[in-house]
Amino acid sequence: MTIATPAPDSADTTPAGPVARPSRAAYWLIAPGAIWMTLFLVVPLGMMVYVSFWSQTTFKIEPILTTKSWVAFFSSDTYLSALWTTIRIWLLVLLSTFVVGYPTALFVGLFVKNKTLATALLVLCVIPFWTSFLIRVLAWRPMLGKEGAINIILQAFHITREPIEALLFTELSVIIGMTQIYCVFMVGPIAFMLGRIDPNVIEAARDLGASFWRIFRTIILPLSMPGVIVGGIFVSVMVLGEFATAAALSGRKVNMLGNIIVTQVGSLKWAFAAVVGVILTILMGLVVAGFLRIVDLKREL
Amino acid sequence: MQTTIIKPVLGVYTALFLLFLYGPFVVLGILSFQIGPNGGPQFPIIEWSTYWYQHVFGLTPPSRIAPLPIYEGLARSLSLAFMTMIVSTVLGVMSAQAFRTKFKGSDVVFYLIVLGMMVPGVLVGLGLALVANSIGIDRTWWSTAFVLHVVYTFPFAFLVMLAIFNRFDPSVEEASWSLGVSPIKTFRKVTFPLIFPGVLSAMLFAFTLSYDEFSRTLFASGRDLTLPLAIYGTFSIEIHPNIFAFGVLTTLFSFALLAVYAILMTVSLRRAKRLAIQEDA
Repeated sequence: MTIATPAPDSADTTPAGPVARPSRAAYWLIAPGAIWMTLFLVVPLGMMVYVSFWSQTTFKIEPILTTKSWVAFFSSDTYLSALWTTIRIWLLVLLSTFVVGYPTALFVGLFVKNKTLATALLVLCVIPFWTSFLIRVLAWRPMLGKEGAINIILQAFHITREPIEALLFTELSVIIGMTQIYCVFMVGPIAFMLGRIDPNVIEAARDLGASFWRIFRTIILPLSMPGVIVGGIFVSVMVLGEFATAAALSGRKVNMLGNIIVTQVGSLKWAFAAVVGVILTILMGLVVAGFLRIVDLKREL
Repeated sequence: MQTTIIKPVLGVYTALFLLFLYGPFVVLGILSFQIGPNGGPQFPIIEWSTYWYQHVFGLTPPSRIAPLPIYEGLARSLSLAFMTMIVSTVLGVMSAQAFRTKFKGSDVVFYLIVLGMMVPGVLVGLGLALVANSIGIDRTWWSTAFVLHVVYTFPFAFLVMLAIFNRFDPSVEEASWSLGVSPIKTFRKVTFPLIFPGVLSAMLFAFTLSYDEFSRTLFASGRDLTLPLAIYGTFSIEIHPNIFAFGVLTTLFSFALLAVYAILMTVSLRRAKRLAIQEDA
């Protein structure tokens, strides 16, 4: 850091001093971080787009521009079905995290008046994040398996006679696992928005004879929308970029775009992996842009 | 009234929700006490034992079940997390300090930094692997994987520090400057002690996120596996309760880390309070 200007003589009497000096310093302070992110985040993403147009031979890629890999993606049933699987799983997990998470957020954000209790409940929701992601995924195996906890409980209560085999190594298990892993990202933002609702508004609506359902529909739900959007963006970005949960809970039967990238990189099909990466990026961009169109976050938050 | 029914219903629902969050762990924890080496990763528990914990530590006689390949990975993951923690925290503090003044292009830089935590690991991992390939450098956990870990954790450190500086009273710094103390010395003697609790939180975030990072590392590290990669490798083969025992142990390790953080936090807050009292007196 080289700061040429000497320290100002007095604190705030000369407005030019304190303002001009830190802003020069600001560039020096921000430069390392900004350069790091440009080199190791922006350049790699740009490289991905570039390489997607390279020529792929069996083991290597050459910088001869071609659209062959793109054509290969859109003319292959396997890859198009992976795209469709990704979209389907994303929509289902988005819906299930919302449905599963909203009532909890409602309870924590609106009904628990005691702030300490509300914080404690939120902390309880976050604690599982303190364990390894892979262990969280793996923990579903003994739950959902044929001799797993859920089947044992169902049979013990005579709800089912035979164990349900469809629970593990199917798309259902992937969705259950992802819902558990990601629903907290829904609960948090929604609870935050609900906590900011002025109780007098709800009180007034109730005094005027509105039913709970009506209050929920016309006041609570619209006011919590920014939370739903933020949660939706978090969940979407993470689910779209998933591959480990899908691989571990489906026994590699469910292939999302992320899984395709992993296998293609494994077999050194770099150009093709890059195509899938670009498609995934575009998909994510569209989803996030779509969410941001629903609610103007800058204004609402 | 209706709400008198709704509240308890939602309360019960929240309890069930927490059961949903914790259920798998509880089952995993219970099954980690299965008898070995013949007990499988499912119910019923044939006999309670700590066999699989001994297995993780290599204390059991050799059996057909191979020990988990975790030790080298553990050493790598810890050093990687430590390196990442230092660099991310330093970058985070510097950037947040820069953001205390409005500078040209600050909006763009803000999004650039936050992008690092939003872009999924598959994409950055793939991108960096492509870059490394085309310029012909080897991918290793301490080079390519390390820079990606910083890309991922630096935004968290940055946001934590931004929040800390938001509540920071700049008049103490101005007082120091006006007494002719150089900005660097002011930062070291005045600013840093006051923001230290935030620095601790940033370090905690960076360390744990890096220690647990998986998808970026998968693409960006070469042959030498980090701990999460070694664990992921065991998923494809038949699983045994030893991995459950390992899960319990690694969770305990994370909580120990949290406890260390809590202790350091209390100590530093108490010290900050004491300093404040001295100033008042």
